[in-house]
Amino acid sequence: MRMRAKKLVTGLGISMLLLCLSTPLRAQVTATLAGTVTNQSGASVSNAKISVKNLATGQSVKTQSDSAGLYHVPNLVPGDYEVSVSAEGFPTSTAKVTITQESNQTLNLTLGGVLSLGDLGFSPAQTQGSAQDQARLDKRSHMLKLHQRIGLIATAPIVASVITGTFAGGRSTSSTDRWTHLALGSAAGDLYFLSAYYAIRAPKIQGTETHGPIRLHKILAWIHGPGMIMTPILGAIAFDQKSNGEKVHGIAKAHGPVAIVTAAAYGAAILSVSIKW
Amino acid sequence: MKAKTLLAFLCLALPALAQTESQWVLSQSTLTYHVSHPLHQTDGVSHAARGKGVCHSGQCDFLIAVPVKSFDSGDSNRDLHMLQVTRGGEFPMVVVRTSLPEDASASATIHADIEVQFAGQTARYKQVLFELTKQGNDAKISGTIPATLTDFRIDPPSLLTIAVKNEIPVRVEMTWRKEK
Repeated sequence: MRMRAKKLVTGLGISMLLLCLSTPLRAQVTATLAGTVTNQSGASVSNAKISVKNLATGQSVKTQSDSAGLYHVPNLVPGDYEVSVSAEGFPTSTAKVTITQESNQTLNLTLGGVLSLGDLGFSPAQTQGSAQDQARLDKRSHMLKLHQRIGLIATAPIVASVITGTFAGGRSTSSTDRWTHLALGSAAGDLYFLSAYYAIRAPKIQGTETHGPIRLHKILAWIHGPGMIMTPILGAIAFDQKSNGEKVHGIAKAHGPVAIVTAAAYGAAILSVSIKW
Repeated sequence: MKAKTLLAFLCLALPALAQTESQWVLSQSTLTYHVSHPLHQTDGVSHAARGKGVCHSGQCDFLIAVPVKSFDSGDSNRDLHMLQVTRGGEFPMVVVRTSLPEDASASATIHADIEVQFAGQTARYKQVLFELTKQGNDAKISGTIPATLTDFRIDPPSLLTIAVKNEIPVRVEMTWRKEK
């Protein structure tokens, strides 16, 4: 009798152990839900957003259809799910699906709606964007932000070099004044051309006509741009003349006025896009 | 004889009854978004929206769409920047859908549940108030959609390191024409 009880306890223990071991194994059973997203005429829809919501836990998994309209959502535990799909130009469609322990399940999704963008007379070229177009816009904005930041930083050495220029160009100037002015002018020039590089190299967006304050900003660049080339050339000539103990003469006399006009045009260019007219 | 007459009437009348659909076409529109910044108050305007409404069994489904790049704020650089932050390269259209009872056009105000697809996101606005005035076959609708940047997961653009406000209300002024 005691032997039978012992066997029963051992059997129960083994059963419990097996149950404990098998429960995590069963919990790991997952399935993949896959399918194709199409519109009502049967054409595949790329970049459609698919959300698969577990109705028991409320947790959602999101994915997108690829260029062929295919999607797949792996690692779904068995249960009831709500699948919603949306895409540019279509209303959100939802469907219910029960995920079983089969490893792969197919659910093809159809985007519908009474009206589509085609009914409004928009061409596919107008309604379908592309990652490349967005990347071009992103690159443009990134480069113009750098242009803006470096341009604003350049303001400090430009102002400082204009101020020190009054000391460097006077009658009783020291070589220190000239060197200080030269250093500030060089820093201003380097930052200016770095900033200009980002503005010039930023991708152009086709079909966009320049209008508004940015137009004035660009026009002013035709003044401060050549000015920023002329100013250091004239400055170098003036520097040599001063270093040789000569009075600044000839074309070098234009260094100061050109620098002031350049700095003024540069300041106006910054204001043109900072202040609302 | 009477039965034949009735049959003939039914044969003629049923297709006609089945075609009780009417439709609305957007004939004019002005959509204006407003962006607030401590240094700037900006309005971007578009007149390029197209729309259609199809009515059946007393219910009308409306679809309105407008290209994102058609909004003009008076500065092409700002418009391109707006196009970038709203992911207009990838999602070039703003698409609005709503469904209304056919008799809604008889009242002076409409409360519409609208779905807006923009910047790759879908936002739903409940009971948005629109004012309606009728002139013959035309219905003029005006109202404001209380949109925000977070509704569409748009990072607020900034000027001089100060971000714009989250609220970007969109003023809607549309003229719809009823067509049978």
